Amino acid sequence: MTVTWHDDQKRLTPDQVRSVTFPASRLGRRGYDEEHVRAFLRLVERELVALMNEKVALWNEVERLRRRIISGGPGPGADAAAIGQDDAHVHAVRILSSAQLTAERYVADAQAYSQRLTEEARARRDEMLAEAQRHADLVAGEASARAREAAVAALDAPAPPRLEEDRRTLQAEIAYLRAFGEVYRTHLRAYTEGMLRSIDEWERKEAQALRQKT
Amino acid sequence: MDAARLKANFAHVAMHGDEVPLFFYSDLFIRNPQVRDLFPVSMAAQRDHLMAALGRIVASVDRAGEITGFLQGLGRDHRKFGVLAEHYDALGTSLLATIAYFSGDTWTPDLAADWRQAYELIAGIMRRAAADDEAEHPPYWTGTVLSCERPAFDVSVLRVRPDPPLGYLPGQSVAVEVPSRPRLWRYYSIANAPRPDGTLEFHVRMVDGGAVSMALTRELPAGAQLRLGPPVGALTLDAASGRDILLIAGSTGLAPLKALAEQVAGLASPPRVHLFFGARTAEGLYDLPGLLRLAREHPWLTVVPVVADGRRSPGETGRLADVVARHGDWSARDAYLAGPSEMVREVQERLVAAGMPGRQVHVEDFGWSEP
Repeated sequence: MTVTWHDDQKRLTPDQVRSVTFPASRLGRRGYDEEHVRAFLRLVERELVALMNEKVALWNEVERLRRRIISGGPGPGADAAAIGQDDAHVHAVRILSSAQLTAERYVADAQAYSQRLTEEARARRDEMLAEAQRHADLVAGEASARAREAAVAALDAPAPPRLEEDRRTLQAEIAYLRAFGEVYRTHLRAYTEGMLRSIDEWERKEAQALRQKT
Repeated sequence: MDAARLKANFAHVAMHGDEVPLFFYSDLFIRNPQVRDLFPVSMAAQRDHLMAALGRIVASVDRAGEITGFLQGLGRDHRKFGVLAEHYDALGTSLLATIAYFSGDTWTPDLAADWRQAYELIAGIMRRAAADDEAEHPPYWTGTVLSCERPAFDVSVLRVRPDPPLGYLPGQSVAVEVPSRPRLWRYYSIANAPRPDGTLEFHVRMVDGGAVSMALTRELPAGAQLRLGPPVGALTLDAASGRDILLIAGSTGLAPLKALAEQVAGLASPPRVHLFFGARTAEGLYDLPGLLRLAREHPWLTVVPVVADGRRSPGETGRLADVVARHGDWSARDAYLAGPSEMVREVQERLVAAGMPGRQVHVEDFGWSEP
């Protein structure tokens, strides 16, 4: 176990609880679940902080009472009035602090609620949009399939015998053009990319040359 | 002042956790009720910031030179919250009362003197920075909403007229406060280069449950008044570098980069600019039509839309970092990145790994001034 101790303090501090590290148990040996240990340490740390705060509050209380006794009890003296004011101030600080924390809890709850609502609304919206898109794709797909069928049917329709030859030539031509278009696009893409690369290269070289010259 | 004694005392006090700042603020508000109005309803984040700032200050209290910049920033930054010079004495009184309370029986007159001396030093630096700033800027600007459009269901574009006119550099941001969320400030980038009419544009993405962003993405009526803090941020154009430019924006991270692109448009000989604009879905590319128009007007600008979730992408598909890497060697350019922090980090690492010198990569960094 590694804990950083400061020379000038002999007590365990919340910081040390937070930053303590344990060596991992050797392979095959049983050890505690790290998450559980961490969760327990967080609990210990919170408890330690709470105890320290209680202690300092009690100490301040004792101090005030001691001063009151020294000044001769809650009489009409000027000292007593000052101490009374001091008491009232610390009480007011406590009340305001707890009111502040309550207000913050309300704000945090409202914010978490609003976050959950908007997240759900967004997810629901995305779902609805995706569904609508799927539907639209389906409809469009069907429509284009039907159009294709109609076109094929028109082409395949029994043509007058003297056109049969023309039809076959045309179909072959269409297939050739389609294949040619595809090849041409691929070449054009490769060529353009090559050109872009050379331009970049050219630019880089020129910049280099300029740098060397200057 | 015995710095070691003061640090040991603060370490002892800080062990009491959240109770310490809670006591401090309650003490402050009871002694000075009018000060409560300078703070938001919920102060949990405020308390964390206070303890973090105090920890940093105490750690360097004997080397004040190291934290002068930090303290000056704090002093200037607190002007927009309505902090005045006379508040510093009230803060000092409550700070001392708090430290005394939690020190318990370890509190001594010597410690009280140490703390008083340290506080005077700190408050002096903050007060002076605030006073210097006062000569140059108002504490905040009033921004009148001219229009509020919603190009996507969770993004709104606000057009705002600041009063008095607000001078800034393209790429900078300002803190914004909405009337319905008093005392909550959030940073937003200005999405345009300075215009002759002085109006500002903000792109706001709704964060689920986000107190300020939800108020800003709901329809804000024209005429609504916002408060704007002074411009901050160093995501500004290095026009002297002479290098071409790579802009990479995720979601509303587009705002500062659009301002930079507009600034380039005003240069005499604009460098080449590639703008990658990424979003999770095609719908998230809320400002694409405007960008494409800009690209048509300016031959030096290339806009590449990128969608992570590939269906119906108007451009490239995939992770922003991958798409950018696929598009070539950018190492000779200046890169400007803005967007969700994981995205920015990922792209930054990839660019540097691919050979771009780190100093050529500019990212949004709010540093200490993040509220």
